[in-house]
Amino acid sequence: MEKNSTKNLILTLATIGIVSALILTFVYEWTTPYIQANQAETQRLAISEVLPGAEEVEEVEKNGQIFFEGFDADGNRIGVAYQNSGGGYNGMIDVMVGVNLDNQEIYKFSVLNHEETPGLGARITEAEFKSNFENKVFGEYNVIKTPPSKETEVQAIAGATISSVSVTRIIEEAVSTITDVYGGGN
Amino acid sequence: MSMNFKELVKDFTNGLWAENPIIRLVIGMCPTLAVTNTASNGLAMGLATSFVLIMSEIVISIIKKLIPANVRIPSYILIIATFVTFTDYFLKAFFPGIAASLSIFIPLIVVNCLILGRQEAFASKNPTHRAIADGLGMGIGFTWVLTLLGIIREVFGMGSIFGFQVLGEWYRPMVIMVLPAGAFITLGILVGIMNQISREGK
Repeated sequence: MEKNSTKNLILTLATIGIVSALILTFVYEWTTPYIQANQAETQRLAISEVLPGAEEVEEVEKNGQIFFEGFDADGNRIGVAYQNSGGGYNGMIDVMVGVNLDNQEIYKFSVLNHEETPGLGARITEAEFKSNFENKVFGEYNVIKTPPSKETEVQAIAGATISSVSVTRIIEEAVSTITDVYGGGN
Repeated sequence: MSMNFKELVKDFTNGLWAENPIIRLVIGMCPTLAVTNTASNGLAMGLATSFVLIMSEIVISIIKKLIPANVRIPSYILIIATFVTFTDYFLKAFFPGIAASLSIFIPLIVVNCLILGRQEAFASKNPTHRAIADGLGMGIGFTWVLTLLGIIREVFGMGSIFGFQVLGEWYRPMVIMVLPAGAFITLGILVGIMNQISREGK
């Protein structure tokens, strides 16, 4: 049989494809439990980061959405966290937002997963950008390129305006989802 | 035997300097420019790419006679993609921190032309032991330049090396160095210096 015959070409590629798929099936089976454990751990850390002082976290389903309610040592509800996703510059961004319903403020937010450019958009995970939302009142936020002068202003990351705006929109959406369900306080 | 050994050493050292993928052949520029903003990103990217390069060179040098010339490129890409996907899962499972900081650039190793280039230029024409030497040399050559670029850009752009602050409060970071433009500037200067060194050596 000639080496470059159509049959031989198809056979070669099919064989490599099948072997490759077989190997990757085993790799997938082997690594998936670890990857899922990592993601659960990431989520747990994110919740405890955005609900500071929460001793106990309870998962509740309301209106078909999952919320995480944080309680302090005395059993008082100190806040609610909600995970929201949205499109960023390169791919989806998953953000956990924790809010204080009593005084209508965001505690903090935390980025769980993202595919933003390292060194640029990826800096949405750094403290400097996160501080834009710490203890901020609920509302519409404006993304600007200079240091903020108003509480609802958010300073964009240099070279990553799209990522900054995306995260801001995802947070706004998460806050409005929480206030829709929880009625925005007492 | 000694001739054989000399040949292996030559294959290995080739990638370190004489035919260094980045500063000599100038291939694999996508990760070179994109992820060298910190020293640890550069090192991790270099090691991940080296792993894929060495494993693909081994497999392809073993099965090279079975692959018809007309489908050799798609065959190489399939093999490379298998190792890249393996690396992607492996890092996500056991080194989630590295996986998160390199994110999209791990899957993109598939299209790194350094890897396909070495299969076409070397692994498909040489025996396995020489392919291993070539893969090691090219991998280490790629890694050291990536790490050096990362160190230079991190020092000027953030004032730190591998995350440790080395320049004091007085230093005002040059943001341009962690942006893509900083990669071009640093790489250009580095290639210039390397050319000067090898010219003087002659």
